[in-house]
Order: sequence, then C-alpha cells, then structure tokens
Amino acid sequence: MSKHKYLVLFRNQPSVGQTAPSPEQMQQMFAAYKTWMEKFKDDILDMGDKLKSDGRVVSASGVADGPFVEAKEVVGGYMIVAADTYDGAVAVVRACPAVDAPGALLEIRELAGRKM
Amino acid sequence: MPLRARGPSGPIDPTSPSGLVEHYFRHEYGRLVSVLVRRVGLPHLEAVEDAVQGALLAALATWLVTGVPRDPGAWLFRVAHNHLAGALRKDRGHQRILAGAADQPPDGGEEPTSPAFDGEVRDELLRMLFVCCDERIPQESRLVLALKTLCGFSIGEIAFRLFTSEANVYKRLARARDRLREDDVNTQTPSLEALQVRLPSVHAVIYLLFNEGYLSTNAAHAIRAELCEEAIRLATLLAAHPVGSVPSTFALLALMHLHAARLASRQDGTGGLLLLEEQDRSLWNAEHLRQGATWLERAAHGDVFGRFHAEAGIAAEHCFAESFAETRWNAIADLYAMLERIDPSPIHTLNRAVALAEAQGPQAGLAALDGVVPPAWLDGHYLWDAVLADLHHRVGNTSTAKRHRDQALAAAPSVAVRQLLERRLTRRVG
Repeated sequence: MSKHKYLVLFRNQPSVGQTAPSPEQMQQMFAAYKTWMEKFKDDILDMGDKLKSDGRVVSASGVADGPFVEAKEVVGGYMIVAADTYDGAVAVVRACPAVDAPGALLEIRELAGRKM
Repeated sequence: MPLRARGPSGPIDPTSPSGLVEHYFRHEYGRLVSVLVRRVGLPHLEAVEDAVQGALLAALATWLVTGVPRDPGAWLFRVAHNHLAGALRKDRGHQRILAGAADQPPDGGEEPTSPAFDGEVRDELLRMLFVCCDERIPQESRLVLALKTLCGFSIGEIAFRLFTSEANVYKRLARARDRLREDDVNTQTPSLEALQVRLPSVHAVIYLLFNEGYLSTNAAHAIRAELCEEAIRLATLLAAHPVGSVPSTFALLALMHLHAARLASRQDGTGGLLLLEEQDRSLWNAEHLRQGATWLERAAHGDVFGRFHAEAGIAAEHCFAESFAETRWNAIADLYAMLERIDPSPIHTLNRAVALAEAQGPQAGLAALDGVVPPAWLDGHYLWDAVLADLHHRVGNTSTAKRHRDQALAAAPSVAVRQLLERRLTRRVG
C-alpha cells in the first residue's frame, strides 16, 4: 500500500503560558524529541523547520508586514510525515512532544498529489 | 565519538538518549554566563543571561534537525556571543564595550577543548562564584544568584527547591543585581586574586546550598540530592584552583561527601525519615565515603582547624563506625566541644549533650546543658525540646519529659519530622 504525505503545521496561541523553559526543561524537551524522532524515524520524511515570527503578506493591493496580526494562532513551524492513512499520521503527531506545549495546536493536511 | 574531558561542562555522553550528559544545558548555562560576563562586564549580567537562554533555545531547535554538533560547547558559545553582540549593539551606549569584547575571537577557535580554554572556563566559573559571594550582597541573595547564574536553575526551580515563592526569589535576585549594578559599572570584573578575600563567604554559600538540599525534610530525595550535588560540584571546582585550594575547602568537601553518602538512607521507602540507628549502613554510598575520606586526609594539613574540620570529623565518626552501638561518642563529644570553641552556638552544645548522653549516660548530657539558656531562635525549636524530653525521661523526670515532648511534637516543621519524633520519643519514653 502506498503511503501518503502529510503536512503538519505547528500552531500556537502566543498568549497562553509562554514563559521560557529553563535549561533543565530544554534538555528534557530535547531528550523527549530525540526519543520521539528515533521511534518514528521511518515516518518523519522531513523534520521541517521553525518559522520566524516576522513575515510578509502579499495581496493584489500590495505587500504588508505579516503574519496577519489579528490571527489568534501563529504557525510556528512545519514538518512532513508519511503514513498510510490520516489515523497513521495522527498517531505520529500525537506522540510528538510538541503536542504537550501550552497552547499548542497541530494541524495535519494531506498533500494531494504526491503519493510515495 | 570518544569520551573527552571537557572540564566543568563535562564530557558528552554518547550513551545518553539525547547524546548529552545529564544537566548539560543547565551546566552550560553557568559556563556561558560566567565566560560572557567576564567579557562584557557585570552590569550586563541580564543581557548575558538572555543571550545564553537564546542560544540554548536555538540549540534545542537546531540540534534536533542537524544532530548534536561535534563540539556543542563551542557551538553554544558562538551563538550566545552573537545574541549578546546583537543585543548590546542595539543599546547605543555600549558600542565601546562591544568593541573591547571583540578583541577576543568570538568563537573561541576551533579547539575549545584545549587546556587553555578549559582553564579559562574554570577561572571564569570561579570568578562568577566569588562575584556571587560579594559580602555586600545579602547572604540569601548570594545563594539565589549562585543558583541562577552558576547552576542554571530558573526562578521557578529555585523557588521550588528552597520552598519559597517565586516572588521571593525574584526579590532576592533583584537585590543582588542592584548591588552588582551599583558597583563596577564600566569596569571589568575583579581578578580572582582580588576576590580571594571572599573565600569564607564562598564557603558559607556552598555550605548553605548543601544544607538546603540535605536538611530540607519535605521534598523528594532526587530534588534534594540535586542541590547537594551542585554544592559538591562548585566546591570541587574551587579545590582544583590555587585560589581555593586550601585545607578549609578540602574539609568542606569531606563534610559534604560524608553527609551525601548517607542521604539516600535517611528516608524509608515511603519518604519518611529514618533515625541514624535505623539506617541501613549498607545503603551508604561507597563512592561518597571514599571521596570523603580522601578529602579529609587532604584537609589534615596546615595549622588551621576550622569549623568544617570539626564537622567533617564528626561526620567521619558516624560514617566509619561499624554500627550505631560502636560509634565513638566520646570522640564526637570532643569534636562538638571544639566546634563550640570555633563557632560558639547553643546548637553545638545541644549536639555535644546528645553525644555525651550516649557515651556517659543521660545525666552527663543534662549536665552539659545545665545553665544553657537557649536564644529565641532555639527556644521553642523542636530539636531543643526533643533532646530535653529524651534526656529527662532517661533520668526519670517524667513530667518534665512529657512537657518537652509535647512541645517538640507541636513545633515539628513537617509531618515526616513529627513522625520521626513520635517514634524516637515514644520508644525511648514509652
């Protein structure tokens, strides 16, 4: 059975409990991610990247600084996973330590034309 | 990748799931803050801490994708330095300072494991420790500043470990920072040699740090052990440097290792406290005992016999006694008498009375306390009443014993301590 590709968007609500983690917490997060990545290394096609907080918004009327300031949730990063079904992709994403971050919301979208 | 000694930041442990030794981020925080503060000056301590925090966050994001770099310490240093340079550049008044800092290569070269770099790190960590122990900073602020800048604990983690509120920790920290800002503006941090006069204050803060971990009765063992480990880490660093390589430092290390050896056995399986005579001596940590004995030997030089010598001697008597019954109580009583002369305190008298009671009987214990008027802080303290309850009962003063027993139980600071007292006093009294 061919696998499908899923784009995972990391959204977060900047207002929710965003105190910086302590060095010890960072190390725990690092270890948790490493464990998760090792476990799903065959399913994570691309670890993606973090997105910087500033951007540009382009429309017919011009270019503005973005992202949309009125947005309640900011897309902070992305990655691409491979799975047979949505359920498979959900299983990978649910196990990701990022899910536990305060205010975190991970959105999964299948890439339409790119079967593996 | 082979294990390499990297000085205070420790080797990279390839066997750990993350590829990083335990507390790597926390200890790197202390290392980087110390080194960078040295370059830009104490008035910029907060900017330095922000830059280091930013570098660790960058590492968290980057290393997951790229893997841990060959030399993570150098990577962190480079990124933290860049963060700091950016922040200070924004602050127009600091252009000149930055220009001065730029004389030194920001990346520490490609060989940060060289002895020169390790030596520098050791010096800077120690310098920062001495800076934290400035006598003009209130003592409780010194401890908090050391925990924050050298041990890399967050304000929340410090509050949790010291059983106080975050607001209180923040206040203590702010007081220390105000102090650091007042002085030394536009000057470099003082040389280690100039700071050497603060050695007693450094010892006091390390000892305080250790005791916060060792004596606290209401937190999980692992959390208490962590503060003890940090105290030993800092003292070991101190002992390895000419500025702190003196018998009193060695005695302090001996004392801490010997106490730490017994830390795990002080609790039963459910977190309750155990009396010394109930402790399973086979649980005492052999490595700490060995280290304690080694440092004690090194401490036995020179012509100064200080309070740490006396306390280490007492701890050694307990640690190296075959059993509770075979403890050399007379030797312990003598050591407490020495401690009383060095550092007069009724708590030492109280401890000497306990030792004398074991060695020569309860009457001798009571005789030692005869005429001692406890100061306000000790009068009404559970230890004072508990000892008196025990001694009075053993000589047959039942009503006096009961009065002290009731007072001791009422004053117990935690459930674990109260249970310990009930068992101790009920068994002896009952």
